[in-house]
Amino acid sequence: MESQIDLVYEDIRGKVNAKLIRFIGDLDATNVETVLEKVCSLFNEGIRDLVADFKKLRYVNSTGLGILLHFSKSAKEKGGSFKIANINENVYEIIEIIGATSLLEIYDELDEAIAALE
Amino acid sequence: MMNVEIKEVPATQNAVILRFSGELNSESIGEICSSFEKLESEEKKFAIADMTGVSLISSAALGEFMGARKRFVEKGGDLVFAKMKMDIRTKLNLMGATKIFRVFSDIRSALNAYKWQVERNPEVLHLKFPSYLEVVPPLRQLISRIAKLKGYSNKDSFRIETIVDEVCNNAVEHGKQGVDQKIDLKMSIDPQKIELDVVNMSDPEKMDSLKALLKPRNGAQGETSDSKRGRGLALIKMLTDELTVDCSEKGTSVHIKKVREE
Repeated sequence: MESQIDLVYEDIRGKVNAKLIRFIGDLDATNVETVLEKVCSLFNEGIRDLVADFKKLRYVNSTGLGILLHFSKSAKEKGGSFKIANINENVYEIIEIIGATSLLEIYDELDEAIAALE
Repeated sequence: MMNVEIKEVPATQNAVILRFSGELNSESIGEICSSFEKLESEEKKFAIADMTGVSLISSAALGEFMGARKRFVEKGGDLVFAKMKMDIRTKLNLMGATKIFRVFSDIRSALNAYKWQVERNPEVLHLKFPSYLEVVPPLRQLISRIAKLKGYSNKDSFRIETIVDEVCNNAVEHGKQGVDQKIDLKMSIDPQKIELDVVNMSDPEKMDSLKALLKPRNGAQGETSDSKRGRGLALIKMLTDELTVDCSEKGTSVHIKKVREE
């Protein structure tokens, strides 16, 4: 059985090509493919900017981090961005250890991430 | 009328069981007090109060236990309760005493606490699990919870969860997979450190990918790759104090030591 992860999508007012995704649960090797498929389908529907709210993302491992980097790259290739906000301390440490803080657009608060959308 | 019997615990240096019976009230304070004084003069560090036969404990008697516990704790030991009747435990709860005293359901559990706290003996968990990715999440959470229950901080427990996750995922991914293919995990935990040994069967078809995984990389810091995989080992290296990987055609064994940080 996969680890539990829910992705909740919300529109962002005034931003037609953007979506807010709230990650709820654990992102690991058992569910990365499911998450990858769901997020890539958003890109395929024409979404260019994604804002990920990690407030309720309890856990991420190296495989999960791998797809976050992939989302960031895919968004940039489409002229958009993948922004992350509200990362808990433990998850942030994993991103930091991997050395990926400079590769991901990370914001303390969700409002800041949304305000940074072009 | 109260009675107390002092019983040495074989194979321990300074643990003792005090088997109380009857009513522990103001009339028995003198005897309770002298029992504890005897233990202290014998330099005992850890006392288990076996309450099986106790029908009452007054607040004055409990006060004696509190004083004795304080002295045991100052010497790096403890005074704990075991096998307490439910009505007495409820009374202690109402008095707030269970926030001070540890209460164990049996002597064995109390002795395990002694071995952990005073002798600092490691506790060992040995598991064999099928080589499937889906088995890893509950396993990593179990080990993280054990660490937390053993007093490791949330941060340390999270790091341990990450280490177990990454090492077990690698064992599944780069070893033989299937119901009949078992991965062997041994965890040894003591108050200072956790050691993990993970052994899996090699898959001849995956030997090249395994060797590539074990090739020295440019560390975790300075990440530039956008590849979705291949960061697990680097993460394990950064989170552990010792990492040994022994890889052969038969199998791969990984030994990890993680020192408690907080």
